Amino acid sequence: MSARGDAAEDSTFVRTYTLTRGRTRPRHLLGLDTVLDAGPGRPGPGQAEECEEILALCREHRRSVTELAGRLGRPVTAVKILVSDLLDADALVVPVTAPYAASGTDADARPSLQMLAALSAGLKRKWPDAIAYLQAG
Amino acid sequence: MPSPTSRPDDPAAALRTPSRPHSDAPTVLKIVIAGGFGAGKTTAVGAVSEITPLSTEEYLTEASTGVDSLEGVEAKQTTTVAFDFGRLSLPDAPVPLELFLFGTPGQDRFVDLWYDLSRGAVGAVVLIDTRRLETSFTPVSFFEDIGLPFVVAVNHFDGAHRYQPEQVRAALELPACVPVVTCDARNPSDVAGVLLTLVGHAENAPATPVHPAPNATLQDA
Ligand SMILES: Nc1nc2c(ncn2[C@@H]2O[C@H](COP(=O)(O)OP(=O)(O)OP(=O)(O)O)[C@@H](O)[C@H]2O)c(=O)[nH]1
Ligand SMILES: [Mg+2]
Repeated sequence: MSARGDAAEDSTFVRTYTLTRGRTRPRHLLGLDTVLDAGPGRPGPGQAEECEEILALCREHRRSVTELAGRLGRPVTAVKILVSDLLDADALVVPVTAPYAASGTDADARPSLQMLAALSAGLKRKWPDAIAYLQAG
Repeated sequence: MPSPTSRPDDPAAALRTPSRPHSDAPTVLKIVIAGGFGAGKTTAVGAVSEITPLSTEEYLTEASTGVDSLEGVEAKQTTTVAFDFGRLSLPDAPVPLELFLFGTPGQDRFVDLWYDLSRGAVGAVVLIDTRRLETSFTPVSFFEDIGLPFVVAVNHFDGAHRYQPEQVRAALELPACVPVVTCDARNPSDVAGVLLTLVGHAENAPATPVHPAPNATLQDA
């Protein structure tokens, strides 16, 4: 893979580091699919403008880390760093949902059979014309 | 193949983020849609998503090839990769559900990202443009190696030679249990049918967790 360290990419890094005040790692363990909801707290003073944008988006609708990054047009890592600040300030919270995993303690586990059946039923209700091709075996 | 390098976790991030009860929050499930350049990933995500697919960027760090290790520290290079995000809610499901769709390109350098996306996922759809079948080998062997249930969806482009699913199965050396279906990525019912096929396949697959393949590491685990 050849280096793509061109000027455009360099300036993206500069913008990102400015945004996160030089930090390169989020304080909280956040997945690409971690969902965030607005919380009761207020962000501390001197936060990046993007923090207000994140809060406004999450007040409208719960949003995943990926969705926030996509809407802000910022790299995921930078958004995770800002989201960590907002979690610390209680301005964002991670809503508890029914665990999708077969075992609630194992984050790597796959969704339970019950969840898969619910997903199937939900998709069929939404798209009655959709056909599943079932494989023998 | 550039081997992804490990990204040490920030020790300060050792504790899981505290979360708040939120009784009516739907359960989130996710599906990965992988495929080669121009295979129709964004189209497929957009066909069923309630939001216009978002293009999201992430940094990936990879080892620079051909550079000698210096004091055991490999020279690393950071590149930006983009992937698609879409979502749909299924309020009429027996339990309220929200489905996240992640569309990701099929090159080796996305492997770190695929790990992140695969953890806890329902499974993956590998979208195939039969004019460029070879671009599907990497995602197919990745999902096979980590044990994530996947289906192969052959996207029928106008003017493309129409391969039969069984020809695609043979070319990709897919086991008999992996469903191979055809679809038009522009058609929501078709894409929903592919997702249903995947869910049915995942229900039959043994419930093993996703295993890291050799020579690969998790990032920001
Ligand atoms: N005829 C036909 N055209 C399709 C189909 N799926 C996608 N297309 C078209 O093919 C082109 C590429 O589709 P995209 O969805 O952008 O493909 P992609 O995989 O996201 O492409 P990259 O992100 O550039 O790798 C678009 O012009 C689509 O309208 C299909 O099933 N049939
Ligand atoms: Mg695309």
